[in-house]
Amino acid sequence: MNSLLSPRMLLTRTIAAVVLLVAVMVLCSLVGTQTVSLRAALAGPGSPTAPNPDYEILLHVRIPRILLAAIVGAALAGAGAVFQAVLRNPLADPYILGVSSGAGLGAMLAVVSGVNWTLWGRSPIAVFAFLGALGTVWLVWTIGRITGKFHVTGLLLAGVVVNACFSAIIMFLTSVARSQDVYATVFWLMGNMAEEDPFVLWASGGCVAAGLVGLFFISAPLNVISFGQTDAQSMGIHVERVQFITLAISSFITAVAVSLSGLIGFAGLIVPHAVRLVFGPDHRQLLPLSSVMGAVFLVVADTIARRVVAPAQLPVGVITAMIGGPFFLILLMRYNRRVYWLS
Amino acid sequence: MRRWVLLLAAMMAWNIAGYALWRAPRVDAVVPPAEAPRPERIVSMAPNLTEILYALGLGENVVAVTSDSDYPPQAAGKPSVGSFWLPDIEAVIAGRPDLIVTLEIPQQTNLVVRLRRMGYRCLGVSIWTVDEFFRAVETIGQATGQPVQAQSLVSGIRQDIRRLTETRAGKDQPRVLWVVQREPLRVAGRNTFINELIELAGGQNAIGPTLHKYPPIGAEQVIGANVEVIVEPAMTGGDLVEQRRQALAYWSHLPRIPAVANGRIYVIDPDAVSRLSPRLCQGIESIAACLWPADSGG
Repeated sequence: MNSLLSPRMLLTRTIAAVVLLVAVMVLCSLVGTQTVSLRAALAGPGSPTAPNPDYEILLHVRIPRILLAAIVGAALAGAGAVFQAVLRNPLADPYILGVSSGAGLGAMLAVVSGVNWTLWGRSPIAVFAFLGALGTVWLVWTIGRITGKFHVTGLLLAGVVVNACFSAIIMFLTSVARSQDVYATVFWLMGNMAEEDPFVLWASGGCVAAGLVGLFFISAPLNVISFGQTDAQSMGIHVERVQFITLAISSFITAVAVSLSGLIGFAGLIVPHAVRLVFGPDHRQLLPLSSVMGAVFLVVADTIARRVVAPAQLPVGVITAMIGGPFFLILLMRYNRRVYWLS
Repeated sequence: MRRWVLLLAAMMAWNIAGYALWRAPRVDAVVPPAEAPRPERIVSMAPNLTEILYALGLGENVVAVTSDSDYPPQAAGKPSVGSFWLPDIEAVIAGRPDLIVTLEIPQQTNLVVRLRRMGYRCLGVSIWTVDEFFRAVETIGQATGQPVQAQSLVSGIRQDIRRLTETRAGKDQPRVLWVVQREPLRVAGRNTFINELIELAGGQNAIGPTLHKYPPIGAEQVIGANVEVIVEPAMTGGDLVEQRRQALAYWSHLPRIPAVANGRIYVIDPDAVSRLSPRLCQGIESIAACLWPADSGG
C-alpha cells in the first residue's frame, strides 16, 4: 500500500490523527451520565455555598478522566507496537513479559500488607503496582538473557511462566486475605478509570510522551530487527542493545499506564495491528499513529463505559474487548481481502 | 546520544515544572469552614445509610441514593448515583450535595478522596458489626444536626434487642448453618454481622472460627458441624416457596445431618438480614422464627 514513506506523508498522517484525537476528546467531554451544558459550565465555579455542578463535572471529572484515558491508551498502544516488533510475535502485547501479573502482585501486596500512605497523590496500590511491573520485567529479562544470545523465545517463555507463577501467587493471596480488601484489588485488576489529581496527569503524561519519543528514535533499527535478528546483526545493528532499550522504555510506559488505571486488556494488542493493517508496517509511522489511535480508542471506550449502563458504571476493559474485538476482526477481513461479503 | 540526553532533560524539566505548578503549597488554598452548617442536601452511598438517614427524619434532605436503596419505599424514587461499589461521581455532583455519607470500604474511600479534592464534605462510617452500626448512627446524627434523634433511635433498637434476648434466656442454643451460596457451598463464618444476629436470636453458628469471613466449606465440615438448623436468605425478588423446594432438594444428599433429618431448612426473606440497618430487630426476629418455630406460632 505504501512502499515508501516520505517524511511529509508521515507528518500529514500524524497531524490528521492528532486532529481526530482532539475532536474525539472534545466530543466525549460532552457525553456522560449527566447532561452538562457548555454555557452553564463556562459560567465558572460558582460560590462555595452554591457550586456550579456543570462546571465541576466538566472540569473536575470528565476532562481529567478523558486525559487519563488518552495517556493510558497512547502508552499501551505504543508499547504494544514495539513489543510486537522486538519479540517478532503478533500475539505480543504490553503485558506479555510479566507486567500484568507483576503489577497485580504489587497491588495485592499493597493491600495485604495494609500500608496506608500516599506518594504525590498516588495510593500505595498504584506505587506498588508500578514497582511490581518494572521488577517483574527486569526478572524476565534477566532470565531470558541467561537462556541465550538472541533470546526472543527464551524471553517469551520466561514471561509466560513468570506470569503463570505470579498469577498463582495472586490467587493464593486472594484466598487468604481479608475478603473486602481483596474485592478492591479484583476491581482494580479489571481496569478502572477515575479522574486523577492534575499533577499525576501532568507527570504521567510527560513520562509517557517522553517514552514514546524515545521509542520513535529507535524505530528505524526496529524496522530492520523485525525482519530478523541475524540480518539486523549483519547490517551492523547492535541487536541486544536495541532490544534492551525498547523493552525498558516500553515496559516503563506500560507500568505508568497500569499504575494509573489497572489492567486494561486488548488496547495494546489490537490497536497496533489495526494501524499496521491499514497503514503498513513501517515503525516510524506505526509508532506515532498507534499511540494516537490508541488514545482515541480508549477515550471512546471509556466514554461508552461511563454512559452505556448509566448511572451504573462499567470497567473499561469490558468495552475494549467487546467493541474492540469485533471491530478488529472486521478490519482483519477487510484488509486481508480473502473474505468477500455475502458471496 | 545527544538527543537522548535532551529527551531525558526535557522529561525532568516537565515534571519539575508540574510539581511547581500543582503540588507546591498554595497560599490561597481553600479552607473548609470549621463549623459546618447543618447539611440540607445529602447523598447516601449505601442502602443501609439511606435507611439510617430516613430513620433520623432526614428523608426530605436526601437528594440522591444508590440504586439498591429500596427501603423505605419512597427512597427508591430518589435520583440514583449507581451501585455502591461502582458509583457514578457525576451523578453525585449533579445532586449539588453539601454532605455525602459513605461506607468505609475501598471502593468508596477512593470516591471520597476524589470528592474531597473537589472540596465536597464527605462523612465515612464503617458498619461491619452491630456495635459499629450504633456508632455510625450516632456519628451521622452528629454530622447532620440530629443527635437527639440518633440517641433515641439507638436506645430504641437496644431496648428491642434486650426484649428479644430476654425471652430466650436459658434456652438451648441451636446450631445454625447460614448458607450464603449453595454451589459451591459458602456459609457465614464467625467474623460477620450475621453471626451476631444468629447469637442475638438465641442460636449459635455451627461453623467454628475460619480464615474467611464467608468460608467455602465441604460436605465433611457440614456433617462434622452437627447442624441443627439451616437458614438460607432467599435471592432478592425470588419466590420463597420455590427456593425452599430447591433447598430441600439440594440438602437431600446429606439426609443424616439433624437439620435435614428433621426438615429444619428455612428460606427467609433477605430484606432485613442482608444489611445492618435500623430494621436490625426485624432481622433478628425472622431468624428467631426459624430457631423457635413453636414460639412464633409458626
